[in-house]
Amino acid sequence: MIELHWQAAWEALIHHPLFGVAITLAVFQLAYAAYEKTRWVFLQPVLVSMMLIVGILLLCGIDYDEYRISAQWLTLLLGPATVALAVPLYLNLRRIRELFGPIVITLLVAGVFATALGMALAWAFGADDMILMTLAPKSVTSPIAMLVAEQIGGVVALAAVFVMITGVLGAICGPELLRRFGVQHPAARGIALGLTAHAVGTAQALQESDECGAFAALAMSLMGVMTAVLLPLVVALLL
Amino acid sequence: MLLRGLTWLVAFQLLGTVLNVLFLPMLPGPIIGMVLLFAGLLARGRASESLQLAASSLLRYLPLLLVPPAVGVMAYTEAILDDFWAIVGVLVISLLVSLVFTGWLMQTLIRRKQRQQEGA
Repeated sequence: MIELHWQAAWEALIHHPLFGVAITLAVFQLAYAAYEKTRWVFLQPVLVSMMLIVGILLLCGIDYDEYRISAQWLTLLLGPATVALAVPLYLNLRRIRELFGPIVITLLVAGVFATALGMALAWAFGADDMILMTLAPKSVTSPIAMLVAEQIGGVVALAAVFVMITGVLGAICGPELLRRFGVQHPAARGIALGLTAHAVGTAQALQESDECGAFAALAMSLMGVMTAVLLPLVVALLL
Repeated sequence: MLLRGLTWLVAFQLLGTVLNVLFLPMLPGPIIGMVLLFAGLLARGRASESLQLAASSLLRYLPLLLVPPAVGVMAYTEAILDDFWAIVGVLVISLLVSLVFTGWLMQTLIRRKQRQQEGA
């Protein structure tokens, strides 16, 4: 008889609407502490949290839809967070003005190049349309990539994963690769890391120097806005 | 005054959503909100302390907010496995090539600008 009650309590716990929020908060703090302690690039908090939560959900037999509804409490804030990106962009305005020409040209040429190269490669490798549209915004910081992927017919969750993989890869290989190709100017290193590897690249750039980090943050936000504004327009015109 | 800043952020997001439905179906609501807020800050000439506080607090927890959508990948394992090599190839090659290209282009442009300023 006692056994039955345990079962009921367990069911009530894992199916409570706050269960998803609880595991997300707990797991994220754990992952973040591990990253802070080790500073190991492979321990990206989002990546680690994602894997741990998928494990917990599978163990408890909860499907993604139930978790998604519970975690809505957190995801709802992504909208205002995207709007909030306007503030650091505005605060960095003076730096933008100093190197206005180089920044605008690099952003336009390299930003279009990075997106076009990704899509051309995906097409050449024979990925289907859904994957293609999901890969297109991969260089952009996640909230924007996810919004854009949704607008042009990709998969939001997959876009977030591609963004994370791209960012972690860029943070791991970027600094060494740039050094080998003789890119030493902090502004150039920052722009390269922020434009191609978004938030993760920016975090990496901040460890090199403040100037490098500021330019990375700048490139990240500008690339984000440009992708958000132009990519859905281009896709709407071409299809 | 975290709340006042937060109210502005939410208000701009909602305004963006309204404009998205009315005029700009191809742009996500929050993006329209961000562009409008940026334009507003430019027009006003300064960012209030409450807005800066709200923005930096939200952006600090951005990675946390991204966890639930990332977990969504468990619903798409099949789609990823189907195109596994295409995805890996695209992500690795395009990242490495565009990273080096971006850094090189920016450095070349900065040096050219410095030379022009020294010449002038």
